[in-house]
Amino acid sequence: MIPRTTFADRAPATLGHRKSFVKGYVCLVLLSCALTGCQGRDKSGITIDHQLSPLPARVGPERITLILRDSTGQPVSGAQITVEGDMSHAGMAPVFTQAKETEGGQYQADLDLSMIGDWIILVHSTLRNGEKIDRQFEVNGVRAQ
Amino acid sequence: MDLVAPDSAEPLSQSRPFDLIDAPIIASLLHWRHARTLVSIPLLIISVAMIAHGLFGPEIAPKNLATTLGWVHFRGALVLVLLGAGNFFCFACPFMLVRNLARKVVHPSWNWPRRLRNKWLSIGLLVTILFCYELFGLWASPFWTACLILAYFAGALLVDSLFKHASFCKFVCPIGQFNFAASTVSPLEVKVRDAGVCDGCHTKDCIRGRRESNAAALSKPIVIQRGCELALFQPLKSGNMDCTFCLDCVHACPHDNVGIISRLPGEELMADPMRSGVGLFSRRKDLAALALVFTFGALVNAFGMVSPVYAFEDWIAGVLHTTHKAPVLGVIFGLFLLLEPAVLLGVAAWVTKVWGNVKRSLLQIAVRHSYGLVPLGFGVWLAHYAFHFLTGLFTFIPVTQSAAIDLGWPILGSPRWRLTGFPPNVVHVFEIGFLGLGLVGSLLVNYRLATSEPTGKPLRVFFPWALLSVVLWIAAMWLMAQPMEMRGMLLGSG
Repeated sequence: MIPRTTFADRAPATLGHRKSFVKGYVCLVLLSCALTGCQGRDKSGITIDHQLSPLPARVGPERITLILRDSTGQPVSGAQITVEGDMSHAGMAPVFTQAKETEGGQYQADLDLSMIGDWIILVHSTLRNGEKIDRQFEVNGVRAQ
Repeated sequence: MDLVAPDSAEPLSQSRPFDLIDAPIIASLLHWRHARTLVSIPLLIISVAMIAHGLFGPEIAPKNLATTLGWVHFRGALVLVLLGAGNFFCFACPFMLVRNLARKVVHPSWNWPRRLRNKWLSIGLLVTILFCYELFGLWASPFWTACLILAYFAGALLVDSLFKHASFCKFVCPIGQFNFAASTVSPLEVKVRDAGVCDGCHTKDCIRGRRESNAAALSKPIVIQRGCELALFQPLKSGNMDCTFCLDCVHACPHDNVGIISRLPGEELMADPMRSGVGLFSRRKDLAALALVFTFGALVNAFGMVSPVYAFEDWIAGVLHTTHKAPVLGVIFGLFLLLEPAVLLGVAAWVTKVWGNVKRSLLQIAVRHSYGLVPLGFGVWLAHYAFHFLTGLFTFIPVTQSAAIDLGWPILGSPRWRLTGFPPNVVHVFEIGFLGLGLVGSLLVNYRLATSEPTGKPLRVFFPWALLSVVLWIAAMWLMAQPMEMRGMLLGSG
């Protein structure tokens, strides 16, 4: 999984420390009101691993393979999965596709990455028992054909 | 021979220009002294929503109000209103609403320091914001966008709680300076209707404010309507520079002699009268620098979004042996905001002096002609911001729906994430049009500046500046033709 970079990684060290402090301070002060904005951890213990093809990713159809496993490592079948792709800049059109189960616990989706640049992929899963699970990962540096 | 309007003995050339304050429906609103407060309230509410969603909402830019409304809708609407009307975003500024409320409790007692009564501080802040936008990828960060808005409120509150008048607007606010520069090509201007009326006025309420009618009996006269806080004395005001369209002068004038009058866009750049509260454009190096940052900054900001910039950044990083983006961006900003303008304007000024026989220093020539680039700079900002605005026009709808759901109020329905805006290939036509308008505007202004030189060789004076305008226009056209690519912050990523 591509690690999500933080601003502390980008700015010079001293400036990054100050900004991390400010960010942490603001979050701490307003933590009691922040619950609606935070992504909660689901209680099911479901893990979702992903694989991309082709790599490096290019404009056009990108095959995303998702592997769902429960807390015991067993594949999770029968989930309804919608895959959404968003660009890093606001105002850009998101792209959507449905994932199909190819074998037990393994799902495939072809997502049309319509622009070069960095993408954020959102995986919206609904399990057989109705539980909803959301995950996200980044696909950076999508190139032209 | 003057053309005469049908059924009228009044020559068309002397017919009264359009005055927005007399327009139906709008007239009542604009004449109301609380109009600015009324218009600012919804923008304040929107600002609070942006801050809240930016701090606590999803950290994905297309799904957050802070980034969507800030970097798509606010920027786009701002330049389009400046193009079609004037500086009405300063009129509706939510920062001033908060500041005015604060001044009911806190009364500033200091005057803005004399050494800082210029644009250098605000230019530095404008460049800093452009730099931080690129360095920290503000377009992709709802949290830091919200922090920027908060910092703006804090800055406006702090400055105008300590210093009198509109010190923040005139000497600090980066957005304000952008608006001032752009509004020099707006079609409307706040100005007197009849100069003869001002000649007979002894109270000068437009700048001193209107006082209590029995002020003579009071030890300290009470100002019941303040005058211009930016020191723009209406009878001597010329143009939109430093005018926030606050309309204090309109409400203070006892003769109803101030209007929002139509004019030829850019005409204030063609002349150099002594302007109240501003002085002579030709002697204001800081204003000339603002014009250059406005113009070249437009190109830098657009350059930051296209594919070639990443290869260029990687090359600079290799030369500097660094993986940090700050020094790389510093080089780019130094190249395109300092070196490039210095070289291009220096060469154009030298050709003007030698070939055009202009008997002034290179710096004086460059200062005077820098204003001629403002229309083209505005064209580039228009093309860039209008692109994002028009292609993402309806994206605020699903984001607002999602924000309502996050608050536990699903009254707006499920988010319609597929709502976007106009197709990019359609918007591209507008981009080309805006750039073309900007080029024509700059050529016209430069031509008028050239004919005002007492050398008898206007074409020789005009040529180097026209060529410079065309070169920058070609650069802008090339930029708009490049594939857009928004990437993260790591050098060499992808």
